[in-house]
Amino acid sequence: MTRVVVLTSGKGGVGKTTCTANLGMALAQQGQRIAVIDADFGLRNLDLLLGLENRIVFTALDVLAGDCRLEQALVKDKRQPNLALLPAAQNRSKEAITPEQMTELVSKLSAAEFDFIFIDCPAGIEGGFRNAIAAAKEAIVVTTPEISAVRDADRVIGLLEANDIKTKRLIINRLKPAMVQEDQMMSVQDVQDILAIPLLGVIPDDERVIVSTNKGEPLVLEKKLSLAGVAFANVARRLLGEKVSFLDLNAPHDDLFSRVRRLFRG
Amino acid sequence: MSLDSTPETVDLESTETTPEPAKVEVDPALQVRFKTQNGKTLLLLPPEPTESTVSPWEEMWEQLKHRLAAGERFWQPQTAIHLMARDRLLDARQLQIIADALTEANLTLKRIYTSRRQTAVAAVTLGYSVEQQNSLSHLTQAAPQPGTTLDDPLYLQSTIRSGMEIRHAGTVIILGDVNPGGSLIAEGDIVVWGRLKGLAHAGAKGNRQCRIMTLHMEPTQLRIADKVARPPEHPPAEYLPEVAYIGEGGIRIAPAQEFARWLTEHQA
Repeated sequence: MTRVVVLTSGKGGVGKTTCTANLGMALAQQGQRIAVIDADFGLRNLDLLLGLENRIVFTALDVLAGDCRLEQALVKDKRQPNLALLPAAQNRSKEAITPEQMTELVSKLSAAEFDFIFIDCPAGIEGGFRNAIAAAKEAIVVTTPEISAVRDADRVIGLLEANDIKTKRLIINRLKPAMVQEDQMMSVQDVQDILAIPLLGVIPDDERVIVSTNKGEPLVLEKKLSLAGVAFANVARRLLGEKVSFLDLNAPHDDLFSRVRRLFRG
Repeated sequence: MSLDSTPETVDLESTETTPEPAKVEVDPALQVRFKTQNGKTLLLLPPEPTESTVSPWEEMWEQLKHRLAAGERFWQPQTAIHLMARDRLLDARQLQIIADALTEANLTLKRIYTSRRQTAVAAVTLGYSVEQQNSLSHLTQAAPQPGTTLDDPLYLQSTIRSGMEIRHAGTVIILGDVNPGGSLIAEGDIVVWGRLKGLAHAGAKGNRQCRIMTLHMEPTQLRIADKVARPPEHPPAEYLPEVAYIGEGGIRIAPAQEFARWLTEHQA
């Protein structure tokens, strides 16, 4: 059975595409056959993060138009043959495809015996969002610990509920543990209090994400994994049903002073 | 003892009257709703969208799904539903989607009432019994006489998330949280058995006797009739069950226990 998962957030810039690229790669490393679909027609990015930009010949639109076969449009990753990308068209708008066509693409991919299909959803809750969720059976909601991102994630969860996507799990991205300890950033608990869906993982803020984006090499490919890389790998294992305990992100910031401060704040 | 002099009553940071006396359009006819009338369970759809009342299919569909899920525990299995489509244009696909959603909730679509020929034809094609009403009877039905009693309370078990809006011509009871960005607009009282963090407007047609009750009063904004209040800038250290009501000078908040005591003394 192919698991069709949409990664969505409502707000832009919270790390949907970064999560798609890293989780996709991490699952492939776990031996899962996975296809990632870029549903952001007109503003495609996923190919850049995966470093596959220069290998795109056909796009999802060409498949739908019957100009090529699905296998021709799928871009295989050289570093990790379990991973394939179905690119979006860059020269067209989000209205270029319909929810029915997205469902058609996903069922074609399911027939190709992938274990996972990840759909990278565009920001917003309009047509592009409706396309992206049309074929999904599960959702991963990505948010950052910011009030605006959480508000939008809340709205998106409501829309997912209304569209019968029952399995919804949360990734909190770009958490800064030091700021949380100083009471300057929403904590994991604060976010969960509002969104009230199961937590899949917490990714600490890491400057190396920017480097990895620019190089087109997902963090999980590094030989010596960074903390964010480990967090992504753990999320992938949790998706496969493994029980993996959450990283103690406080550890590096936990000196005597901050402990005393926390004690006084109660 | 008058409630206004209750020492425990919390003063709200800012209580002000809306610039113009609020004539809030509650009109619950603009939302999907269930109603029991003469022993029949009716499912009422909002009217066909016009320029002023935009309610496209997706929005209506999401409302229906939400109402079905939020009332799940209360449906008797296989309750017959009478779909009041009014002047709403529905094609066969949309009717089928509605019927499937009802089936999934263990309800059965029994009959469709519509004033549109196209909808009637689509319903017949799908094999449902149809009653075509002329639009005149629909008009009288849609506009209740002023001064009519409130609708039955609306009881929903659900989180009211950002972007959701519950409108009801009666009292609204929510078992769950109302998140920031969510709103409740009721002609009667509002009870939130959970955390109220969004907007609540009780007595939206102007009844100043209405109240807002919740276990955790942390709203974005409170409104009762034509009064508006913001919560204090500095949140309290601890949240207790509280009641908001219109007292001297605007909206006031009292701890639920104080309020209950006042009620019993007042009645005695």
